[in-house]
Amino acid sequence: MIMRSLTHWKGTCFLAGICVVTFALPALPQEKFRKSPPIPDPFQELRLPLIESATLSNGLTLAVARKASSPLMSLQLVVLAGESDSRPDLPGAASLTANMIGRGTDLLSAGEIEERIESFGGEFAASISLDITVFTFNVLAENLDKALEILSAIVLKASFPEGQMDTVKRTMYYDLFEREKDPEHVAKRQLFRMLFKGHPYQTSIFNEDVIKDVGREDILAFYDRFYRPNNALLVVAGNMNLSTASRKISHYFNTWTARRIDRSLLPSPPPNDREQVAFIDLPQAKDATIVLGNVIFPATSSDYFPFMVLNQVLGGTMGSRLFMNLRESKGYASYAFSGADFFKSCGVFWVRAKVTPEAIRDSVQEVLKEIGPEAVERASSFEIEQAKSFLIGNFPLKNEPLTSFSLEVARNKAFNLGEDHWSQYYENIILVNLERVLATARRFLQLRPVVVIVGNKDLVADTLREFDKVDIYDISGNLRSTINKGVEK
Amino acid sequence: MSLKKNAAWLLLAVLSCPPGGLNAQEQAPPKGLDFPLTQYKLKNGLQVILSEDDSLPLVSVVVAYGVGPIREQPGQSGLAYLMENLMFQGSENISPMQHINYIQRIGGEFNANTAFDKSFFYQTVPSNQLALVLWLESDRMGSLSVTGVNVERAKETLVTEQRQRRSAEPYLESFFLFDEILFPDFVYGHPLLGTEEDLRNITEEDVRSFYRTYYVPNNAVLCITGSLNVPRTKELIARYFETIPRGNDVPDLPAPKLIDAGRLRDSHLKESLAPSPAFHFGYRISHLQTGESYSLRILDILMFRGKGSRLYKRLVKKERVALYLGGGVEERMGLRAFKVFTISNNPVMSDLSRKAIVSEMGKLRTTLVSEAELAKAKDLFKMDYLGRLSTSLQKALFLSEMVLSGNRLEDLAAEYAKYLKVTPVAIISLANRLFAPENAFTLSLATK
Repeated sequence: MIMRSLTHWKGTCFLAGICVVTFALPALPQEKFRKSPPIPDPFQELRLPLIESATLSNGLTLAVARKASSPLMSLQLVVLAGESDSRPDLPGAASLTANMIGRGTDLLSAGEIEERIESFGGEFAASISLDITVFTFNVLAENLDKALEILSAIVLKASFPEGQMDTVKRTMYYDLFEREKDPEHVAKRQLFRMLFKGHPYQTSIFNEDVIKDVGREDILAFYDRFYRPNNALLVVAGNMNLSTASRKISHYFNTWTARRIDRSLLPSPPPNDREQVAFIDLPQAKDATIVLGNVIFPATSSDYFPFMVLNQVLGGTMGSRLFMNLRESKGYASYAFSGADFFKSCGVFWVRAKVTPEAIRDSVQEVLKEIGPEAVERASSFEIEQAKSFLIGNFPLKNEPLTSFSLEVARNKAFNLGEDHWSQYYENIILVNLERVLATARRFLQLRPVVVIVGNKDLVADTLREFDKVDIYDISGNLRSTINKGVEK
Repeated sequence: MSLKKNAAWLLLAVLSCPPGGLNAQEQAPPKGLDFPLTQYKLKNGLQVILSEDDSLPLVSVVVAYGVGPIREQPGQSGLAYLMENLMFQGSENISPMQHINYIQRIGGEFNANTAFDKSFFYQTVPSNQLALVLWLESDRMGSLSVTGVNVERAKETLVTEQRQRRSAEPYLESFFLFDEILFPDFVYGHPLLGTEEDLRNITEEDVRSFYRTYYVPNNAVLCITGSLNVPRTKELIARYFETIPRGNDVPDLPAPKLIDAGRLRDSHLKESLAPSPAFHFGYRISHLQTGESYSLRILDILMFRGKGSRLYKRLVKKERVALYLGGGVEERMGLRAFKVFTISNNPVMSDLSRKAIVSEMGKLRTTLVSEAELAKAKDLFKMDYLGRLSTSLQKALFLSEMVLSGNRLEDLAAEYAKYLKVTPVAIISLANRLFAPENAFTLSLATK
């Protein structure tokens, strides 16, 4: 794959560019139209699939996204509770609850459930984020009833058998343990840990060793409280209309009983406003990974679209400023990108870069410069238009796969983003201009981000001393020592 | 010359029909296979496939060449993979990285992939930017920039990648070795990555010659799917591709040398860097009889697809003798291999894994597959097959691969139906013909 190959380049394009004309093949004279890129055809209108909604008598919200040409169906059952809803003393309870769904009902064992799903080629998975839990079921359209039957059974009649707890805990432990080999995962987890300190979102950031503390009674309590139809929504994507879907979903989910759930919107955590540099030692890492970021607004904010354009200018792709500077111009990094994660109460803007150990300090400075007020104020209308062009062009690509599309609909509904967020996407982007981008940048990129560096301490020790102060954490997020003016204590 | 005129005289044959509509079966093709299709060939030999779907304003463009490691000569291993990299290093009117920049600037996505006998270059972009992609693709088909600097830089990139992969993937060498055992000679059995020594020895002239021989219109398929207007698309194709000269006829592949495999039946790799013992198990499948490819695909699913597959259930879930299990049927230009790979905790478990696999292969030969298990495998087959047609890019990749492999697109629906007609008897017969215990190969890896 070319993406893999490209990660080893270090700013050698310019030299190669000089040679292009001299040695090109063949020597035959070429047509004039080949010399420059063609003018695009008129822009084609985006007609998004119609999304219709209904609420069933037990409070379950149903959203149907019709894709008439699809022979497959994608179901997303969203429970509006995630890791931040785990008790502060029981991190991981939401994940364990979700992972126990499908491990047994009053009538079916884990093995029988697996057999049933496999018997019609279904694909089932659970994913847990800070605010929501999503159960995804992909299936042939002809097998939709079978999928709904088993989905309703495993969610509504989950028995959480004690015998399966150890198996699920063991799997979760090893999954989390394995992920700790990925420097970017380790760095981002530490960033979130520091940004969400003291906020309920902090509960969501945990290591593998906490899983053992969650018991069956804890997940029963979590399930009993949050797994309710009035706290859930079901997205059906594929060749189906609302009335058929309503009938089918009612048939399989009408015994699910509602209960009042007191769950208020969490306040947004405050953004970081002081210089913080953290380091985690990962002995097997050959390069250094830098992840830095800060808290921003949630996706419901009117700043969302201007910020998306700004992010595109800064680090959305290989043509963006961060990549072009850190990799192509300076040769510090094999990659450098920016992005944002959005949750119900806030968002987090981040930059991630993989750099050579000796270039850590310079890379951090360059990143801070690129996302700092001076550089951002230099943004031109041309850059803004290019970024908008990318976002508009990329939107249908992102939403073409059925599962991505139905997940996007689910996210939209779960976070109350509103119809316009989805259906008026093009207009929302088109209306962004330089002034709006700069206004958003001034509001959200003024404060210093938290900087996290992950690498092999033996390789990066000298570079770390170049910082005024670096806090050294272990992989679980415990502060172990501090390098102050080059001296470690 | 007007565009219209060009388009008119360069189209050799035009076929426009739904893919399932021409065969003996009169019934409508199943959902997912009922897409429109236009197929024709330019005078320079370039095969063109168009398929419209205006549900989203995007198009996918795939240019697939009938070349891969199978075309490399001894001492040139890694050349096809090197070409994949060089195809992004610029052409007469496009400087390095510009291809990527053009695509990304408009929100498009791109990539490339080299398989054993095919190489794919592809992008998905907003539909109004189709001409841009055709301009880019035609430029690298007609006038790739092969320079000493480009070649050396690409070689360096690949050598670095090779070193990283070899140090990060302790089982990698054993896969290469087992391929050499299962496939009969250098042409079919050498690795895509090549060797560092071969890569270093590849010259600028080797690259130039390889490019001139295989990256030519008469060895390529251009497939465009998505929101397109067929007459307008044909005009654009004619404009950008018709004047690219046809290459020489692509040389025939030498017949595979079916070397005697007797001494290789049970091989051992004692100095392995592997952290845990592992072993490879497999069969050579040198030819299939009529209809057997359908049964083999279903059998592949029965044995390997998902956690409900026979081997996973037995080795990982029930007996817990394998920590990892992988495998499947691999095809290389008509030659196939049935391959299983397991990693176990210790040599005892590794041996138990081997015995369990042998036992499962035996069951295939002695016991009919139940109708329920067969139905499950066919549902999984349908999910996989229709899933490969579910986005414009996947569809374009699928269609170009089918054409490069010599399949008729108008037979797609009929072919699909044949997989669904596989019977338990067909599977047991196939297993008996292919999987005799004495024909199995193993390669064991002991830890240091």
